[in-house]
Amino acid sequence: MDNFKKKFIEEATDLMDGLERSLLELEENPNDQSIIQQVFRAMHTLKGNSGMFGFDKIDSFTHEMETIYDLIRNDKQQVTREILDLTLAAVDHLKVLLDEESFNEPSVQENHIRLLNKVRAIINGDKKDEKLHIEKPTQPIQSEENDLGNTFYVLFDPVSELFNNGTNPLFLLDELYSLGQVKVFAHLNKIPSLDKINPELCYTYWEAIVYTQDNVNSISDVFIFVEDEATIDIQKISGGNLLADDLFITELKKLEGVQNDIGITKIQKLAQQIQSSRVKDKIVAPGVKERVQSKETAISSIRVSADKLDMLMNLVSELVTTQARLTLFAENNVESGLMPIAENVQKLSRQLRDIAFSIVLIPIENMLTRFQRLVRDLSSELGKEVVFITEGADTELDKTIIESLADPLMHILRNSIDHGIEDAEERLKKGKPKQGKINLKAFYSGANVMIQISDDGAGIDPEIISQKAISKGIITADRKLTHREVLDLVFLPGFSTAKQVTDVSGRGVGMDVVKRKIADIRGEVEIESKFGFGTTITIKLPLTLSIIDGLLVKVDDTHYIIPLSVVDKIYAIEHEKIAKTFNNIVVLDGKQIPFFYIRREFEHTESTETYEQVIVVNFEEKSVGLIVDSVVGEYQAVLKPLGKHYKKQDMISGATILGDGTVALVMDTNKIIKLFANHEDFKIGDELNKE
Amino acid sequence: MNQENLSKINSYLSFKLGEEEFAAHVGKVLNILEMTRITEVPKAPEYMKGVINLRGIVLPVIDTRIKFGMTPTEYTANTCIIVLDIEVDNETIQIGALVDAVQAVLEIDKNKVLPPPSIGSKYRSEFIEGVANIDEKFIMILNMDAVFSIEDVASLKTKTEETDITRSVEEVG
Repeated sequence: MDNFKKKFIEEATDLMDGLERSLLELEENPNDQSIIQQVFRAMHTLKGNSGMFGFDKIDSFTHEMETIYDLIRNDKQQVTREILDLTLAAVDHLKVLLDEESFNEPSVQENHIRLLNKVRAIINGDKKDEKLHIEKPTQPIQSEENDLGNTFYVLFDPVSELFNNGTNPLFLLDELYSLGQVKVFAHLNKIPSLDKINPELCYTYWEAIVYTQDNVNSISDVFIFVEDEATIDIQKISGGNLLADDLFITELKKLEGVQNDIGITKIQKLAQQIQSSRVKDKIVAPGVKERVQSKETAISSIRVSADKLDMLMNLVSELVTTQARLTLFAENNVESGLMPIAENVQKLSRQLRDIAFSIVLIPIENMLTRFQRLVRDLSSELGKEVVFITEGADTELDKTIIESLADPLMHILRNSIDHGIEDAEERLKKGKPKQGKINLKAFYSGANVMIQISDDGAGIDPEIISQKAISKGIITADRKLTHREVLDLVFLPGFSTAKQVTDVSGRGVGMDVVKRKIADIRGEVEIESKFGFGTTITIKLPLTLSIIDGLLVKVDDTHYIIPLSVVDKIYAIEHEKIAKTFNNIVVLDGKQIPFFYIRREFEHTESTETYEQVIVVNFEEKSVGLIVDSVVGEYQAVLKPLGKHYKKQDMISGATILGDGTVALVMDTNKIIKLFANHEDFKIGDELNKE
Repeated sequence: MNQENLSKINSYLSFKLGEEEFAAHVGKVLNILEMTRITEVPKAPEYMKGVINLRGIVLPVIDTRIKFGMTPTEYTANTCIIVLDIEVDNETIQIGALVDAVQAVLEIDKNKVLPPPSIGSKYRSEFIEGVANIDEKFIMILNMDAVFSIEDVASLKTKTEETDITRSVEEVG
């Protein structure tokens, strides 16, 4: 039972997240019927599930909430800010209620009663208004609907595993009967012969003609719990009651004999015939189609536990390593005829790797709802007007990266709203629009994903930062810093520039934590700010954490991997040329490129080879050469950590195992170049700046 | 095996560094490997020899001799890598320890283990769990967690001798 409850809580959390997202959307488009339907459906499912698993509090509470949205979707209530505020608060409350123990706390109980009263007030308030509403001119069709009812065609084609979750389709049909006059056709043509039958599967599907006074929603509500497990098609075929028409019934009976499904088209044709004959009787019923939600979510996705995904990734990693061994063996034993097989395995494992990766990649959209909520709540709390715009919400990242990214981003947004965006009055004084703007933009850049958060707020005053740094003894007063260096000060521990320490941000644990957390997932963070005009924070993240495409090179007898994403070009160069330079610059293709001689930097002996290779890599939008002995080739490197004992050697980001079982080290070229550039012998930093 | 069961076992693996004999509790020892090619990690302290591939895991290898203030290990036919479970910050990690030779698995009765000598010892006492006298030979039983902790202590020798060793390591690292 506990297992079921866990499942329920998981599902409920998903539902609530979806609900929250829909509510925020609804705020933007308060009249969008499809969003209102989404909200209603989410609530309805939540109600049903919670009732089933004994979460009575959630059940009864959602029931009341649902009533409001039922009124809304039937146009008896307008979507107001008040309702949305209340619903969002209610969703928060429901999340609390998921923890069954929580209801013992008086504060939760109080909140429960308070919210419930508010909900009821809205429902009752609405009843008073109802008269008013009815006086509004209603559409003629609607009035007809209410007077005469409609005839609908219903197709209910469940997946064969329907019984697995305990659904009895006959109960659903019974429910249909309760709506009005119904004629059901059961189709048995999919049932196999007795020896092949599996009693646990559902082979039957149904078509029904339903006449009801209710609207189409009440029919779709019947199937609301099975909409993911069945193809459901509900279409209005005619106004009035076709089942009362003798001609229609006789025609239907003819169709009944046929084994295959009747199909909406035949029914519609029939309905039209009947209608045309009925026109004479002056009962006009235009065949308005009301297509309801279909099977879009049928089996398009499944839920898999994160553990299984991790296991899958590990296996893929091992497969890639083993495949490298196979390739090496095949290359060394050409006569074995293994080569074509090895190549095939390589191709397959590469495809498998890409697919396995794409499984663990999830769009950043998943965490955006949380941020939207944060911006909405925080800005109203602080009395500021802020619009939050997101771009590239479909950009995908490794799920572990997304998990560790939420907190830092949250912090950056808080900073923006709290310290960045000014209040309306001040903004108008500065000639800015009253509403502040925060833009979150995500996009791919090579093998990286960039996330940019920019606001059009006050920006960072370099003066205040410098002064603060001086007063804290971080820098000396006579030190002249570049604009960049000043801004980078905010990433130092214990640095907070907010004049007032609010409970939102500014406790001194700030950007340094953001920087560290992002560094933990091999990301980088940069800040750019124009005083008076706003701040932009850019986060650069690797697409994935476990396998990279790399260039395998050799230095002395050690193999190194350089991530392909940073490699620009490769040149062969005479050893003489390198040995003779004093300023560590080589000219390649007419361009001066500063270089580092890896052998010297890593304390290997000088090479005696005549030719060596210059790998030109990108370093902060500049080109830097790294000189290695030879290039072995492209290699898919499964990253393995070097372990805690090598924590300080961070210019090596990990290791990987080669086909022959030896270990190759993966270079972090950014860190390597930064490290070497600070080396006394090389004033490469100056050279880079000159460029 | 849980901690309680482990402490009931009195087996120790003895190994040699130079002429001296040391021992580690078998519960700590996972594996004994023959010497293999070690991939050196650049810019690391001298006692960090590099990494090897242990069935798909990248295993850091530490030169135990340098840790004990001796000259770096010279590779012979007897040189071995002992794979150990080390507890660091409440987390178990695996490391390989280079030793000159692996001797034997000894049964040492708890009663026969003497406390480490408090004065006159060549090595810092927190690394020595005790001393056992086997066949007129003294074997030092080591606290492996302490010896191979991440802490950047290069030498396990006592204070007086430590200073010049540390200096030599600084020059390297």
